[in-house]
Amino acid sequence: MTVRSTTDSTPAAGIDSASSSTSPMTTPSPFVTLISSDGFEFHVRRSAACVSGTIRRMLNTRSNFSESVTGVCHLENLNAMVLEKVVEYLYYNEKHKESRDVPDMEIPSELCLELLMAAEYLDT
Amino acid sequence: MAPWQGLTNNDTVDFDVTWGILEGALREIHAKNASKLSFEELYRNAYKLVLKKKGEELYNRVSGLEQELLRENVRSRVVQMVTSPLILGASGEQVGGQAHQRRADGERFLGVLKNAYKDHDICMKMITDVLMYMERTYCQDQRHPSIYAMAMALFRTQVLRSPATDQSDINVMAILESAILDMIAMERKNEIIDRPLIRACICMLEELYETFQEEESSKLYLTSFEPKFLESSRIFYHREGQDLVANADAGTFCRHARKRLREEDERCQQTLSTLTDQKIKSVVDKELIGAHIRDVINMEGTGVKHMLDNDRLEDLSNVFDLNSRVDPKKAALKDAVQKRIVSLGSEINNMSSGAVVPPPNNASEQAKKEEGEKDKNVNQQTASAIKWVDDVLTLKTKYDRIWEEAFKKDSNMEKALEYSFQEFINANQRSSEHLSLYLDEYLKKGAKGKTDLEVDANLDKGILLLQYIQDKDHFENYYKKHLSKRLLQRKSASMDIERQMISKMKMKVGNTFTQRLESMFKDMALSEDLTKQYKTHVAELGDPDTTRIDLEASILTTTMWPVDSMVRRNEDGSTKTACIYPPVVENARKRFEHFYLKKHSGRTLSWQPQLGSADIRATFTKPDGKTKRHELNVSTYAMVILLLFNDLPADQCLSYEEIQARTSIPENELCRNLQSLAVVPKTRILKKDPMSKEIKPGDKFYFNESFTSPYMKVKVGVVSNAGSKAENSDERRATKRKADEERGTTIEAAIVRIMKQRKHLPHQQLIAEVIQQLANRFQPDVNMIKQRIESLMEREYLERGPDPSKPSYTYLA
Repeated sequence: MTVRSTTDSTPAAGIDSASSSTSPMTTPSPFVTLISSDGFEFHVRRSAACVSGTIRRMLNTRSNFSESVTGVCHLENLNAMVLEKVVEYLYYNEKHKESRDVPDMEIPSELCLELLMAAEYLDT
Repeated sequence: MAPWQGLTNNDTVDFDVTWGILEGALREIHAKNASKLSFEELYRNAYKLVLKKKGEELYNRVSGLEQELLRENVRSRVVQMVTSPLILGASGEQVGGQAHQRRADGERFLGVLKNAYKDHDICMKMITDVLMYMERTYCQDQRHPSIYAMAMALFRTQVLRSPATDQSDINVMAILESAILDMIAMERKNEIIDRPLIRACICMLEELYETFQEEESSKLYLTSFEPKFLESSRIFYHREGQDLVANADAGTFCRHARKRLREEDERCQQTLSTLTDQKIKSVVDKELIGAHIRDVINMEGTGVKHMLDNDRLEDLSNVFDLNSRVDPKKAALKDAVQKRIVSLGSEINNMSSGAVVPPPNNASEQAKKEEGEKDKNVNQQTASAIKWVDDVLTLKTKYDRIWEEAFKKDSNMEKALEYSFQEFINANQRSSEHLSLYLDEYLKKGAKGKTDLEVDANLDKGILLLQYIQDKDHFENYYKKHLSKRLLQRKSASMDIERQMISKMKMKVGNTFTQRLESMFKDMALSEDLTKQYKTHVAELGDPDTTRIDLEASILTTTMWPVDSMVRRNEDGSTKTACIYPPVVENARKRFEHFYLKKHSGRTLSWQPQLGSADIRATFTKPDGKTKRHELNVSTYAMVILLLFNDLPADQCLSYEEIQARTSIPENELCRNLQSLAVVPKTRILKKDPMSKEIKPGDKFYFNESFTSPYMKVKVGVVSNAGSKAENSDERRATKRKADEERGTTIEAAIVRIMKQRKHLPHQQLIAEVIQQLANRFQPDVNMIKQRIESLMEREYLERGPDPSKPSYTYLA
């Protein structure tokens, strides 16, 4: 199945509503905010966040969804505990992206199931 | 276990509510209001639906929605732009004028279509992102095409393939294609069109496929547009080709064809797609070039013939390129060039043979009167021979240049040129003679004052012509004859250059050729040595006799030198020419012969007085008592004649018969020499009585004391003697006869050689082998070969093979 992601090269720039003025394409800030269902806010680096496919698409500046404009993602499905581990994983993944034979990250077993579902949800 | 609920927090999910949210969002996206939406929310909703196993329904609803949107919004917008000219164009009717109108309409239509597609594209990408979860799980599991693919297919069906108007069933696609083709046609007429716009639409066509399986070959571009484009181009070029051939000249045609090729190339790069590049080029090749190139080449007045004559290198290279596109062997061009060369060559041939009217063969009484005329004609012939060679070389240089620059050193063309040169050179019977005369001239005079390089180049050119000539053995005979005259009369400009020539010939043509020539050189060198030795020998003899004569002898080996041309055979076949020498000369001669025979016993020397020359110191006493001395350079016979007058008192004369009796010089030689001594104004050393121009029996000769000359050294040339000139028709026939005899023997030698090796050969093969072996020297005539085989059989060298139906031969030891 071919997945067409908005980060692939598209000939046209992102479209915005015809009536409002086009928002200036400023360089997005390096940090984004991920908010869990219980309101915890995690500031993560953009590059780490984009390890997750879902979050990457969410923040795609071209598609102009509200998240990409504000730089804030509400992840209603995930609670803080899970989200924290997810964030940790994102950094871990980014740090060790180049190397091989990386030891597995430490995961407490009670979170396993939820982490699994989160991973599926977040495409990561 | 409870059904998989995922991260849903146990909300009950109502499909319709969720779908409502999603549908609204999708519409907003299409309306370009995405910034109001939260990606996450939509993603989450889709996620929930899929988890609830509503993936399929979600999918269907989405596609239904897209279909509706496309049909309602997009299509209507596009259809609005369809105007009647566009419809007419698409239905294949010729739309007359109104080019502007059509173009403006077309552009607007294309613009709208392009934008619609672009929007659709972007929206679908965004929607795909939102529905990514569904894609990943549902689509993959159930092997449905992705949402994006599905949406594109919908675009194809809902927009492109939908009817353009309510009345007709021409669909939008057809209108699009015809508009584009229309614009291309306009561009071909040198109008400006909006290329990027067309490019965008073409890209759209490239990205859409016929079916859900997105395979390369089912791109809409390839299945629908390209064939139409190629067809319309074919028609266009077909017509254009015919127009051009009827109206334009060859050079323009070629330039125009090139321009079109470049144009199409550009078009593929910028406007259409590179996929079409090869195909359109082959259409142009076929319709424009292939169909007409032959006509263009042979066009009257401006075709290849004209280009060749006027050195139009650029045009020629155009023609060459075009021809090579359609025909790697470039048959048409080759034919034209060859024809031209052969016709030019025949002109040269005709010029050289037609310039001179060969003198009629009269009875011998008139022979002498016409000697003068004959001489002039022969001289003219020599000059025209040289001119022939010059002309051929000029032609060759010109065509070599054309080959290098216009034909890009193509090997096919090279062969064609060679072949045509060979054809006309060998059509001329006298080419070997001409070439030899040319070289003779050059080696006698032309080499002076030129640099080594120039000399080298000129010799090379000569060798080049030699390689074209088929009857190389004829050439060898002529060259030998001329060379011997040069060597004996010391007329060569430089021995180095002569040797250079020989070595070049050896390299290019082979050894057998140059063997005899080289031995001639050796003879001359040996003779020089010998003369030196003789001088020392004589000095050692002591006796300083002031009357002794300096003798320089050149010893020639009979077999190597072209004896027959130099020497007249007597009736008994011997080569000795009778001549009674004056005593002093006779002494010297005997002494030398003695000396030589002592060195090389077993050999015989036969003296050839007609080839020699002598330097005489002559004293003339004037009536007023003054004496004048001159040094006379005369032929040997003349010397013998003059010495007769040494012991004669001043006013006594010798008659013709007396001279003849006392010298035994053959009659024609005698006449010639007497003429040069007594008739030719500048060298009248003898007085003749009567003072007529001819020598007749009964003429009397006196020593001319009152001979004067401004020079100290006087050279008495002998009338029409020694220079290398063109042969008249008699001589030519004689030479040919001799050459044929020689050829006969060579053929026999070859046959024997072959049969000895093979022992047994069929008839055809034998002939083939003989021809092959002798190819380097000459082209043997098949009949001659047959005759030789017969004669060999008579002489019991060969016998016929056993099987009468398959003719073959066996070698008899």
